[in-house]
Amino acid sequence: MGHVDDSPASAAAAAARDAKKKRGNRSSAKLKQCKLDARREQWLSQVKGGKEAKVRTSLTGTEPNAGSLTVPSPHPPLPHRRVDVRSRGGDPEEDKEETGSARHDLGSSYVDSPVQSPSSDNSGSVGGMHRKHYSNGGGLSLSSSSSAWSSSRSVSEAEDDDTGGPDEENGVLDDWEAVADADALATDNCHSQQISGPMVQPAAPNVCAAPANPTGRQDPIRRTRAWAPDDVFRPQSLPNIARQASFPASIGNCWMDASQQVVHSSPLTCPICCEDFDPTDSSFCPCPCGFRLCLFCHHKILEADGRCPGCRKEYVAARLSRSCSMGPRY
Amino acid sequence: MQASRARLFKEYKEVQREKSADPDIQLICDDSNIFKWTALIKGPSETPFEGGVFQLAFSIPEQYPLLPPQVRFLTKIFHPNVHFKTGEICLDILKNAWSPAWTLQSVCRAIIALMAHPEPDSPLNCDSGNLLRSGDIRGYQSMARMYTRLAAMPKKG
Repeated sequence: MGHVDDSPASAAAAAARDAKKKRGNRSSAKLKQCKLDARREQWLSQVKGGKEAKVRTSLTGTEPNAGSLTVPSPHPPLPHRRVDVRSRGGDPEEDKEETGSARHDLGSSYVDSPVQSPSSDNSGSVGGMHRKHYSNGGGLSLSSSSSAWSSSRSVSEAEDDDTGGPDEENGVLDDWEAVADADALATDNCHSQQISGPMVQPAAPNVCAAPANPTGRQDPIRRTRAWAPDDVFRPQSLPNIARQASFPASIGNCWMDASQQVVHSSPLTCPICCEDFDPTDSSFCPCPCGFRLCLFCHHKILEADGRCPGCRKEYVAARLSRSCSMGPRY
Repeated sequence: MQASRARLFKEYKEVQREKSADPDIQLICDDSNIFKWTALIKGPSETPFEGGVFQLAFSIPEQYPLLPPQVRFLTKIFHPNVHFKTGEICLDILKNAWSPAWTLQSVCRAIIALMAHPEPDSPLNCDSGNLLRSGDIRGYQSMARMYTRLAAMPKKG
C-alpha cells in the first residue's frame, strides 16, 4: 500500500488494487450495508408483491397502465422509499383519493395532530375500502399507496384505539368520498372476502385480539394495516417501524446536512476519507455542529488548519486537549 | 495518499450512481488517473453563459480532501473571476475557504453559482471586472455572450 506511483498508467491499476484490498478490509461493514440494501429491496418487493397478489385476481390487465400517470404529491417528499411505491396511480380521480388517504396516514404517523390521530383507524379503513372498491371495479389499478402507507403507521396505536365496527363506520362516513365506497363495499363484501381470503390469514392473530367484527367489514381493513411487531406472520425483512420513523429526525439534523452528500448512502463511514467508522469513531463527535469524522482525519485536520469541515469553525475543545497532551507546539 | 484514492473512488461511484441527479454537471474521471477529472457544466440560465457548455479540468492533490482540488476552465470564458488566458478560477472555496466535506460535485455547483454571480471586486479578468464595476452591465453581458457563442457552443454547420 505504501508504494508511490504517479505514472498515469499504473495509477488506475493501483487504484483498483487498493480498492480491492480496502474492500477486503471492510468486508464486514460492507456486508452489513449489503444486508441493509437487501432488506430494503426485499421489503419493497414484499409490499409490491403482496399488493399484486391481492389484486391479481381482477387486475391482471392493468399493469401496463401502472405508472403512466405520476401522482402529483401534495406534500413534500419524504425520505423513505415508500414514496416510490405510490407512483402507480391509474386515473386522475383515483389519484385524488389516493393522495387523500395518503395524507391521512401521513397525519397519523408523522404529525400526530389532534384532529387526525383519533381517526387514524379510519384512514386505514378508507384506504382499505378504496382498494376493495377499485379492485372489484375491474379495470382500475388502485393501489399500494394506501397499503404501503398504512404499513408505515404505528401498529400499536392502531390496535389500541380500535373501538370496533360501528365507531369506524361513523368515522368513515365523515370522509367525503368514503360514502360511495362504503356502499360499494357493502355490495361487494362477499366478493371481497373471496379475493382477500388468503391474504387475511397473516392478520388473523390480530383480529382475534380485537373486538369481534360481525359484519366482516374489518377484514379488508385489517388487511391494509401494518403487521404487529409481535405478529408471527410478519416478514422478518420488514424494518422496525419505530426506528424508521425516528431516523430522519435524529440522524438527519446532525449528520446529513453537514456532510454534504458524501455519506448519505452509508452514514457509517467517515465523510472525509470514506473509511468505515470503528466503535471509537462512531462515538466521536468533535464539533458542536454535529459534523462527525474519524479520529484519523480529525487528527490530520488539527495538524493543518484545525477547522471543522462542517461549519468551518475552529475545533476549540479538541485544540485544548491536544495542547495538553502533546505539549507546547507554537 | 491512500485516503485520497479511497475518497475519490467513492466520489466516482457516487457520480456514476447519481448521473441524472444534476443534469447541469457531468463529471468524468480520467481513464488512467483518478487524480485527473474533467467536468462539463452548463452555463446557468438567465446569464450570458446560457446555452454554453464549459469544460473544467480538475487536478487533485494527493492530500485531497484536506487540500482543495485545482480547477480551471478549459473553455474560454469572459468572467471577472476567471483568468482569460489560463482559465484559473478565483473562488474562495478553492482556496482558503475549502472544506474537506466538499466534493468535486459541490465544487462544480459552486462554479456554476460563481458564473451566475460574479465578484467584480476580486477580478482575475480585469476587462470583465472593470465593465461590471463601472456599471456597464450591458457591455459585460454582450462580451460574455459573444465569448460563450464563440467558445462554448457547438459550431454550426
